Amino acid sequence: MISSGYLGGTTLHTLTLAPSLCRSAFLRSPLKTLTLALVTNPHRHHPMLPMPSILRAFSSPAVPTASLATQEGKVTSKPQWKAAIDFKWIRDNKDVVAANIKNRNSSADLELVLELYEKFLSLQKEVERLRAERNIVANKMKGKLEPSVRQALVEEGKSLKEGLVALEEDLVHLTDKLQQEAQCIPNTTHPDAPLGSEENSVLRRMVGSPREFSFAVKDHLQLGKELDLFDFDAASEVSGSKFYYLKNEAVLLEMGLINWALAEVSKRGFTPLITPEIVRSSVVEKCGFQPRGQNTQVYSIEGSDQCLIGTAEIPVGGIHMDSILSEPSLPLKYVAYSHCFRTEAGAAGTATRGLYRVHQFSKVEMFVFCRPEDSDRYHEELIGIEEDLFTSLGLHFKTLDMATGDLGAPTYRKFDVEAWMPGLDRYGEISSASNCTDYQSRRLGIRYRPSPSDPSPASSKKGKGSTPAQFVHTLNATACAVPRMIVCLLENFQQEDGSVVIPEPLRPFMGGLHVIPPTSN
Amino acid sequence: MKGKLEPSVRQALVEEGKSLKEGLVALEEDLVHLTDKLQQEAQCIPNTTHPDAPLGSEENSVLRRMVGSPREFSFAVKDHLQLGKELDLFDFDAASEVSGSKFYYLKNEAVLLEMGLINWALAEVSKRGFTPLITPEIVRSSVVEKCGFQPRGQNTQVYSIEGSDQCLIGTAEIPVGGIHMDSILSEPSLPLKYVAYSHCFRTEAGAAGTATRGLYRVHQFSKVEMFVFCRPEDSDRYHEELIGIEEDLFTSLGLHFKTLDMATGDLGAPTYRKFDVEAWMPGLDRYGEISSASNCTDYQSRRLGIRYRPSPSDPSPASSKKGKGSTPAQFVHTLNATACAVPRMIVCLLENFQQEDGSVVIPEPLRPFMGGLHVIPPTSN
Repeated sequence: MISSGYLGGTTLHTLTLAPSLCRSAFLRSPLKTLTLALVTNPHRHHPMLPMPSILRAFSSPAVPTASLATQEGKVTSKPQWKAAIDFKWIRDNKDVVAANIKNRNSSADLELVLELYEKFLSLQKEVERLRAERNIVANKMKGKLEPSVRQALVEEGKSLKEGLVALEEDLVHLTDKLQQEAQCIPNTTHPDAPLGSEENSVLRRMVGSPREFSFAVKDHLQLGKELDLFDFDAASEVSGSKFYYLKNEAVLLEMGLINWALAEVSKRGFTPLITPEIVRSSVVEKCGFQPRGQNTQVYSIEGSDQCLIGTAEIPVGGIHMDSILSEPSLPLKYVAYSHCFRTEAGAAGTATRGLYRVHQFSKVEMFVFCRPEDSDRYHEELIGIEEDLFTSLGLHFKTLDMATGDLGAPTYRKFDVEAWMPGLDRYGEISSASNCTDYQSRRLGIRYRPSPSDPSPASSKKGKGSTPAQFVHTLNATACAVPRMIVCLLENFQQEDGSVVIPEPLRPFMGGLHVIPPTSN
Repeated sequence: MKGKLEPSVRQALVEEGKSLKEGLVALEEDLVHLTDKLQQEAQCIPNTTHPDAPLGSEENSVLRRMVGSPREFSFAVKDHLQLGKELDLFDFDAASEVSGSKFYYLKNEAVLLEMGLINWALAEVSKRGFTPLITPEIVRSSVVEKCGFQPRGQNTQVYSIEGSDQCLIGTAEIPVGGIHMDSILSEPSLPLKYVAYSHCFRTEAGAAGTATRGLYRVHQFSKVEMFVFCRPEDSDRYHEELIGIEEDLFTSLGLHFKTLDMATGDLGAPTYRKFDVEAWMPGLDRYGEISSASNCTDYQSRRLGIRYRPSPSDPSPASSKKGKGSTPAQFVHTLNATACAVPRMIVCLLENFQQEDGSVVIPEPLRPFMGGLHVIPPTSN
């Protein structure tokens, strides 16, 4: 049962993208991202990484949706879409970019990108020069001319055209290659983000303390078995390992958690959404994931360019793809419920037991589109909401400012929440809040038109005199990842008699259920 | 050849043994091929049909029950798409870019509607003695086949996962049927009654025609499904119980609908008998299917390997032991029925309960599951 949170709807003022209003696709991102600390960043993005030792496969985005063999026999991929990368800014700040790449352990080849960019510029100049010459020839042919003069001009025109066609082809290949290399460059890093590998993450906040038990603590799997809440064995037969059925009160728990999270976040001004769980693979790539990489987290649909989402971040980010939003409409704040599907390929180690690591789960996700100058502020707001939610349930947890070694390619800064799980006898990640600045928006093509400072009607018209569109910043944060929350609730609120107490805020969303009673066996 | 023999006698026996063995190997191979071929052909044979099921194509289906009548509107009726646009409830356009056609985002009160419908359906059916379940949505393709669907046929409804033998479910019937795969259940445990919530994925390949607009036909949707495992002699009775529950649910929401006993031309291979519920959809100006209740008798259980051991009539300890003297296991019967298919319900609720001022009234039973919301107000534009 959801309290009527955010009613009335948000009218979205989206402007359709006017063609060529912004000739340069390479807009400067604001000053925010200029100052960079020396940071490290390995090549990965993993929204739900719980264990330090587990390497994720959400590597930097590639563009391999179609592969072509080159003349040299090497397989290259033709990008099916282009990111609006600010090459000029990279070139003008190459030392800072190089340091960031190094410190984030990225395999991006900055030298190659700069080299390709220079070639691109000179080739583009050459093409423009040839086009100009061709125009001159064409103009000359307009008047009355001697047949021999005309013939000479025709020949010249033809030769120019052939040269142009060849150069334009080269330009296309060069642009593709430049895209391919430049897309590997990770996002810049917040100056305050701790340097180093995951252990260097800094504690921002600690809430509560581990509960003291007067009896032997059971883990969630044992509790689940005794209370008849899950079935992993049947799911293993029907679907495979790391799948599960929820039964009885666990169904109430899942529905209660989703309904509660949606209600709590809606009433804080977020528009509720339910999203598609099948999306085009290009959208997955544009969000910074790698659908077809080795050890990919992404399930693909056979015979199609579609994938299953691993997080609602993807369809929500995509909801404003290729749009120009108006400044008054920002920030756009969404709270989205979806199922999430992850292959968990390459996830080895002990942190795979029971509900801790599964292929399918429900999640309520927060997503914000905002002006660049506001993203730090909304990052604080998002982590604040998460901390409020988990505190209200009575969980003991810590919030970490994640070190650069743990940031995926799109991430500028990331805060993780790890909750105490007595059955596992350690902290486990239950949520993650990331500021992706303009990394995703440059790929998804999401911009906004800043309101002009001059309020006169003339300047508010589109075209000459209106302010050029800027890329928005995007942020995403987990409000509730259901299986990990179930682990926390069962393990923390178990009683000696085998029952589990339901935290008060959830009870209205679970038909008033106060406690999961021990089963009478 | 076990005793003491003359060498020549032994040799003759060895030769005979060898020739028999070769013949046997060849025949056994033939037997395997034949068994496979027999299976392949026999699996095509549809389930038997209930004697009362109407014969013929879909139009021959027989009306079992009519509840209510089409509402009379004093103003121009809008269809759910227009209402959705005006009330900012869906986005099909953005979903078309992100995912493809027949995908959608639900927004604002439509999110409350979906959650409310699911919560309400789970609560209503649970309190009637069904065990609530949330199921996997990825399953092995063999399980899909055993339920009577054809994952890799032409125009299949089933999405397959690349590089794996797994598929996406089109209905929770599949993972619920599979939950007792290759098991022998005890008779006292029957009937086993489950109410399962899952998302469902359908390719809708080959679905042409006009009935594809908006939420009426989509690739992904939420559904609450009822499933029963029972003794053969009880399945007709549970079929009646399931359709009764459905009719109660839809009546309580104030919908106008008719229940049909579907004609043989409309029955899929697993189905012995099927009742469909079609609700009045004023925006479409016709009835649309919102639910289906099927008795599959032992078609699925013979494929999924689900049996039960009838309690012996002789209560002595000797006969209750397994093995010699205990009753042989029988195949259970399975039934499945839609408690709530969310998008079609949303179509019904929006179109039937729209008001002249553009608002939509929420039926009373849903309000406690929607935070007390009484009405979706018209947006102030």
